[in-house]
Amino acid sequence: MQKIMIVEDDEILCKELSVLLLNNSYEVVVLKDYENAISEILKIAPNLILLDINIPHLSGEILLQKIREKTNVPIIMVTSKNSEISEALSISNGADDYITKPYNPNILLLRIGAVLRRVNRENNTLSYKNLKINISKGIIQVEDKKVILTKNEMIIFAYLVSHQNRIVTRDELMTDLWNNNEFINDNALTVNISRLRSKLKDLGYTNLIDTRKGQGYILS
Amino acid sequence: MKLRLYLKDKIYLIILSLFSYLLMLMIFLAFKILPEVIISITCIYFLTLISILLIPYFRKKNFYNELLTNIERLDKSYLVLETITKPSFYEGEILETALYDINKSMLENVKKTIEQVNNFKEYIEMWIHEVKIPLSSLILAFNNKKYLDNRIKGELERLDNYVEQVLYYVRSENAEKDYFITNVNLAKVIKNVGLKNMNYLLENKVDFRVENVDFEVLTDAKWLEFILGQIINNSIKYKRNINNSYIKVLANSNNKETTLIIEDNGIGIKKSDISRVFDKTFTGTNGRERKSTGMGLNISKNLCEKLGHKIEIESEYGKYTKVLITFYHNNYFDVLK
Repeated sequence: MQKIMIVEDDEILCKELSVLLLNNSYEVVVLKDYENAISEILKIAPNLILLDINIPHLSGEILLQKIREKTNVPIIMVTSKNSEISEALSISNGADDYITKPYNPNILLLRIGAVLRRVNRENNTLSYKNLKINISKGIIQVEDKKVILTKNEMIIFAYLVSHQNRIVTRDELMTDLWNNNEFINDNALTVNISRLRSKLKDLGYTNLIDTRKGQGYILS
Repeated sequence: MKLRLYLKDKIYLIILSLFSYLLMLMIFLAFKILPEVIISITCIYFLTLISILLIPYFRKKNFYNELLTNIERLDKSYLVLETITKPSFYEGEILETALYDINKSMLENVKKTIEQVNNFKEYIEMWIHEVKIPLSSLILAFNNKKYLDNRIKGELERLDNYVEQVLYYVRSENAEKDYFITNVNLAKVIKNVGLKNMNYLLENKVDFRVENVDFEVLTDAKWLEFILGQIINNSIKYKRNINNSYIKVLANSNNKETTLIIEDNGIGIKKSDISRVFDKTFTGTNGRERKSTGMGLNISKNLCEKLGHKIEIESEYGKYTKVLITFYHNNYFDVLK
């Protein structure tokens, strides 16, 4: 399980953020000792740090520079300073990404996923039960039977597979689609899911995508 | 300073002198004084009169003319006292000291006001950063509770937009601060704007159609995101009650410029209102019907001017509204790279 460290001094925000990350099966550590931040970070050795710019004792930007002197851990800067200059500054100081408050939680998760994937160089094939999924080719395969998915269907299916142990909301699917430049509406999402279902049926998987009424979808 | 007007101003002195001269002449004639004496006294009298009239004129003329021409030539005419030579006559000195004192107290007042405005701006910037924290918590909390009512998410997006509007209003008034022009990909900016307003668009059943927008332009990405956010919010706010509401985003490019077009099929803008939509606090017929601060487009226009883009609006009432933003290409920037 990937360990994410939160550096954020607003307690309520910190708590909600922890819940969000825990719900998405990340391990969460919150930085408590701002005075000895560096040694604590080195001791905990997180897989990724969410770093707020406004923190007590020293500014997030200075902390960022200091962390970079010691380690290459991926860092996403989180800030309410919405300006192109501070973004450029953070990136040139070695941050991997930059996101402004208030952020859309689904987008934050997508960004975290993207940074971790970049670091771990995950290849772009997934598998689920007997299904082999090649994301870049848009193909799902069972033994020698295969179907071709459209871009939208692949985005939806890949998202469901990589979050297979929990319910995925329509909102999350929608965000991932829009994040991939597919600005579809609610009806189109419904249509895409039913097409995906019938394609999976062709491979012999009926009812693979289960609808939980009023909540979302889950792979069964 | 004009001689004619100056003499007109001294008319009482001239009439009085002429009147006393006539009296004198009558007395001279009554006592049968020699004509030679009368002529020489007349000469002395009129020479003195002319001197009394003209010497002050020439002394004052230099001072007042310099004052007037400098006021006209200066861009900031309140600085005129620094540019003129000191007057050498009493009234001029009074005037100069008076002007100096007035100027000083005015400058102090202006300074105080500027300070107040700056403090207020600083406070607003800080306030915005503060208010974004609870806003973030709320958005996260709704998400964590798996609260599926997208209306609330849409409303939070709208709230964030209004907070952002204040921030950019403050920024659009301070020219120097906070912008950073680079090569920006339009598709990426539009994706971010779309994501930011996704729930608000979906909740209002407005389709977001993006066509070919894969162009690079010179701009500040954050400012452009804000401007497009305002335009899209307007389109949603002023949509028609029809089933196929949409916002279409597309771009054209040639070697001189790139134009981004945001078109909707909303209620449109009346002909009588269209020339004023960029004015501060202008709301028009639409704004009165659907409540509006009338600031969004005004701020957008100011920001566009600062960034060097052209923003135009076309509309047919009851049919569509089309906003065009033109980005000029700059070879100089390519050379610098």
